[in-house]
Amino acid sequence: MLWYKSWLDTRWRFLIGLALLLCSAAATVLTYPQLVKLLPLVPTNIQGPLGQRIRESAELMRSYPSFVWSNWFRQNLSEGATLFAVLLGTAGLLSHSGGALFTLSLPVSRRRLLGVRAAAGLAELFVLVLVPSLLIPLLSPAIGERYGAGAALIHSVCLFTAASVFFSLAFLLSTIYSDVWRPLLIALAFAIVLALVDQLLLRSPAQSLFGVMRGETYFRAGRLPWEGLVASAAVSAALFYGAVVNFARRDF
Amino acid sequence: MAESWVIETAALRKSYDGVEALRGLDLQVPAGSICGFLGRNGAGKTTTMKILLGMVHPTGGQARVLGLAAESPRDSVEIRRRTAFVGEEKDLYGTMTVEEIVRFTAAFFPRWRDDLQQRYLRKFELPLNRKIKALSRGMRTKLSLLLALCRGAELLLLDEPTSGLDPAMAEDVLQALVAQVANEAITVFFSSHQIAEVDQIADRVAIIDRGRAVVAGDLDELRERFCRVRIVFDGDAPRASFRAPGVERVQRDGRVLTILSSRGADAVVEEARALHPLSVDVDRVTLKEIFLESAAAEE
Amino acid sequence: MLFRPNPSLGVPIYLQLMEQVKHAIETGALRPGEQLPGIRPLAEELVINVNTIAKAYRELEHEGVIELRHGSGAYVSENARAGKLAERLRAAQSVVAGAVERLRARGVNDEEIRRLFEAELAGLTRKGGRRG
Repeated sequence: MLWYKSWLDTRWRFLIGLALLLCSAAATVLTYPQLVKLLPLVPTNIQGPLGQRIRESAELMRSYPSFVWSNWFRQNLSEGATLFAVLLGTAGLLSHSGGALFTLSLPVSRRRLLGVRAAAGLAELFVLVLVPSLLIPLLSPAIGERYGAGAALIHSVCLFTAASVFFSLAFLLSTIYSDVWRPLLIALAFAIVLALVDQLLLRSPAQSLFGVMRGETYFRAGRLPWEGLVASAAVSAALFYGAVVNFARRDF
Repeated sequence: MAESWVIETAALRKSYDGVEALRGLDLQVPAGSICGFLGRNGAGKTTTMKILLGMVHPTGGQARVLGLAAESPRDSVEIRRRTAFVGEEKDLYGTMTVEEIVRFTAAFFPRWRDDLQQRYLRKFELPLNRKIKALSRGMRTKLSLLLALCRGAELLLLDEPTSGLDPAMAEDVLQALVAQVANEAITVFFSSHQIAEVDQIADRVAIIDRGRAVVAGDLDELRERFCRVRIVFDGDAPRASFRAPGVERVQRDGRVLTILSSRGADAVVEEARALHPLSVDVDRVTLKEIFLESAAAEE
Repeated sequence: MLFRPNPSLGVPIYLQLMEQVKHAIETGALRPGEQLPGIRPLAEELVINVNTIAKAYRELEHEGVIELRHGSGAYVSENARAGKLAERLRAAQSVVAGAVERLRARGVNDEEIRRLFEAELAGLTRKGGRRG
């Protein structure tokens, strides 16, 4: 029944997220032919870093798989998954008006309450990442292209592992603040700041959190970013552990 | 300890940010009783109940429910398997319907009583398909009570069960409680501001004041112990001090001395006679007066 | 038939109940041999504690007003009237004892006291007697 309750609490966020990401995936595939036609129009002679960027993007669009990687996994899905990871992780566990006292009067340990909630949320996050991604291999033949389901799966796993860190962060913050907004906004702010740091200061390293999310090493060299994956999982676990400890010692 | 206490606390303490809510509470509630828990607002009633259920962690002392330690997370789960709680805010899941929350709750209790569920759904006239957030306060209270009564619990903890209810609904609630105690082996521990209610259905009472138990015990026995002795003098009443044990208050009013005693009248009457009064009268004291006397004015 | 005791009176509820039962017997609402309401249904009906009713019944049995038959319930004793009568006689006896003590204190001897009582009773009968 706890699983059912977790589903009830998050289903709208999940369903809206799924709908949006499915549309986004479909759009990614279906707009490719248009974009390819526009490619010759892209100016390639602009100087400086901006010109560099434009030339890079144009390069990536030449082949379909690199296009999918660049537009879908690197950009749309990464952003979408981070957003929904935070939304799903904002558990609303503490709010009294949400029936917190009633839940706590049930014969369930606090650890189990959190465990089920986290597991349900993570399962939803995984579906949000995987299912739209699998739509791409499914839909690509419609535009005469092919994309491997295996690649979609591997990228999804990497993306999910990295996004889980933001889920766990929001989850931990939910055990500290009883309102819905603060965990949400703080976690999002954190994500944005980290992304900026990653991109501007560190020049997007492949084993950073966002590097793992993008599955950069797999795309470029066919190699899974093991160090990054393990580190991300470890950070998620630590954040979750913090949430459990915090929740256990709270007074309601 | 030969008796089996369903609730037992010893020197229980709780501080919130430097404010002491409980300052060494000692409480014993025997099985099968209906115990009223009286106290002023902020005296510590809700805190006590929450500690018993593992919702709040005490800062000192011990609390045991059904022989299990309230501070142990594992024991606490077992406590909650056998205890039902209805909080003051009747906090439930607003987006669920009546039927959904009944099914949800029943899933956690293997000893759920379907017969009681049917009876109370009918008796309380709860609309199965209505969302909880659309229920009136009285309905929500009745629903909370149903969820508490049907789970086969051995102990009911109720925080102000009839607050905000009209007299008819309040009576329904009291009747359900009395019926449950009469027909099942259950103990009820309820806090209330309605002294008449406690008078009506409780057989034990505990009065808490500023974090400590000041009066506790069998209600009938308390009513017999507490009395008011009125001494009338020929001239002005003397400024006597009474050394008899149990003298709670001495009031001088012209020719009359009024003494409130918590240990019976005999010793007081003895001392009174030595003052050569015109008359000595012994009167009963109501629970309300016992309460007002024991729960001092706010600081 | 039994109505709700008033909890705010300061008189314990079980005593109020006992009075109600005795009153019911006196007025004939409850007859000797008749069964009293069961403890549990009565508790539900009056919305008072089951232990309170049990206590009242126990005390009434102790006074001989009712009988508790195991497995069957509570019944008004056959000699419930006699119970009341016995109580009246006990009260009367203490009145007599007090009067005798006071007369002796004034120096009246026992033989004279007996004659005074008989004269008094005889006098009432001659006047057409209020008591039979």
